[in-house]
Amino acid sequence: MSGSLNILVLIKQVPDTSSKAGLNPDGTIDRAKAKRMLNPFDRFALQAALHSKKVTNGKVTALSMGPPPAVEILLEAIEHGVDKGFLLSDRRLAASDTLATAYALHKVIQHLGPFDLIFTGLQTTDGDTAQVGPQIAERLNLPQVTYCEDFSIEGGKLHARRIVEGGHQTVVSEFPALVTVANAYHHLEYKTIRGARLVQELQRNEELKAQYIQTITLDDVGADPELCGLKGSPTIVAHTDKVGQIGGRCVMHQGKSIEMLVNEIAAGTNIKEFVRQ
Amino acid sequence: MTEEAKTPPVVPINANQPIGEVLVFAEQILGQLQPVGLELLGAGRDLANKLERPLTAIVLGHNLGDIPKTLIAYGADKVYVADHPDLEQYRTLPYRRVICNWLEQMPVEPHTMLLGSTTTGRDLAPRIAAHFKTGLTADTTELDVGDYEHKGGADPSKIGLYANCLYAIRPSFGESLKARILGPWKNPQMATTRPGVMIPLKPDWERQGEIVQIPVELDPTDYRLVVKETFQEVKKGVNLADADVIVSGGYGMANAEGFELLRQLADCFENAAVGASRKAVDVGWIPYIHQIGQTGKTVRPKVYIACGISGAIQHRVGMQNADLIIAVNKDPDAPIFKFAHHGIVGDVYQVVPEMIRQLKQNQSATTKEVSSVV
Repeated sequence: MSGSLNILVLIKQVPDTSSKAGLNPDGTIDRAKAKRMLNPFDRFALQAALHSKKVTNGKVTALSMGPPPAVEILLEAIEHGVDKGFLLSDRRLAASDTLATAYALHKVIQHLGPFDLIFTGLQTTDGDTAQVGPQIAERLNLPQVTYCEDFSIEGGKLHARRIVEGGHQTVVSEFPALVTVANAYHHLEYKTIRGARLVQELQRNEELKAQYIQTITLDDVGADPELCGLKGSPTIVAHTDKVGQIGGRCVMHQGKSIEMLVNEIAAGTNIKEFVRQ
Repeated sequence: MTEEAKTPPVVPINANQPIGEVLVFAEQILGQLQPVGLELLGAGRDLANKLERPLTAIVLGHNLGDIPKTLIAYGADKVYVADHPDLEQYRTLPYRRVICNWLEQMPVEPHTMLLGSTTTGRDLAPRIAAHFKTGLTADTTELDVGDYEHKGGADPSKIGLYANCLYAIRPSFGESLKARILGPWKNPQMATTRPGVMIPLKPDWERQGEIVQIPVELDPTDYRLVVKETFQEVKKGVNLADADVIVSGGYGMANAEGFELLRQLADCFENAAVGASRKAVDVGWIPYIHQIGQTGKTVRPKVYIACGISGAIQHRVGMQNADLIIAVNKDPDAPIFKFAHHGIVGDVYQVVPEMIRQLKQNQSATTKEVSSVV
């Protein structure tokens, strides 16, 4: 059994693409109208952090970066049992790529830390890069366990199972370490009644809320604005191409009985050649 | 002054900067070279030819045997080999140390570095990118080099024309657009690509190349994480790469049971597998190994039957090269009908059972014919 751990979980608010709100007919997204949600992968990171808190009698801090509405996901984290939330929110962070994001977040982590364990989701559903976690680990010179799907804390070390190409791997890491959690992680911790009551209370009482959730800027953590946002990003999206139409024009089959539609496909294509005999 | 002198041709800002090589990280697992490295050499060869620079590969491991020669046969001009017992299995910190040390001592850093977007590549690439504070684009679907005119932005000193930039091209989030991502300000310009996306060259076993042993100097801190065991698992019935027919389901399948129906349809074919769109995987109806698309597998079957899949660009890039695409969707305006060859507008829960019925009928009809001949 280890002593109580000081745990950090990184979470992000992303557009909810499963909701119709903000979704244009052509499949593009109107970010202003889109519903917002906690990045689905971060839910697993949150669970992993809360599990570590429980087994080590530790403390969990949640950190997010984004515009002010991202406070919503910090409240959600508190509902689940996180002890404290921080939102790094600063206009100078706009258009940050993964390198600039990792720079800014590592400055906050240095300011709030030290932490024994840092959890992140494997990736976000809006960026899909899976880069920010390892880039923070590099900045902080930490060992990392990516694609983690299960773990235990024994003898002051992290014993983890991670996904590798075509299988699994078991690893043992010293603390401190950074862990990116895959969506196969399954030790679910539920919202607590205590958490739900607390959040209700926080929504009524701004003063109390400020004790649990703090919004901070680059200046608060001594981050260099030149290394953030567009200026600090080595990559830019230079050009977007409309995707050209490919293949032949689609032969549409509709407005007849299902039997006839399927028959047209069977007659009009070569799929029968592949049927099991 | 002549007229010409007044309007000089635009000189790229980076015209005097030396251009480095194109470097590919070749991944091995338990001594087996992974195909993605060979695919990246195929893409890298084209970039290296355009830049008129060598294509190099770097491979780490222990007792690597013929791997360096194989990399040369598939297009590498030079192979950097780090052979050490402690590199036998991939671990972030030792691999990162050896690669970063090697790149740091190069007189000119590589222009481009490509890695597979595998569990290893996605673990390693961001560490290297953060170490060199350079740009990294994930899951690219196309790579190219060309000019770029930077017209504005936060830093006026960057405005101007840049030559020989890596174009890292990937679908952009939530849009039917492809984004061209550039980072000409810092080398190496880095990108990862999913296995199956790029095409390897035909191997030329007569091809000559240079093999360079590189130093391995690890630090005690590189041993903070140890690998206990690696398990390779045999996957049953998920051979998407070799299947002639792929029956694939999306969010329109509505539940996990829907995929059981798709399995029944797949069973009607001789060599078929079940695929899925990302949304169906995200909600847990089917495991990730079935996922087709930008963040899943790229497939080229003879027949692709898309059931309840809307056809977002992220899915399309993973299956658009199928010989025949048949789409079933109840929404006649679904984007999938813009690039499928045949489309059925209808409810998957009516169409798929009818397909199964007709294919089975066909099957028994053929069997009867055969038996009557015999």
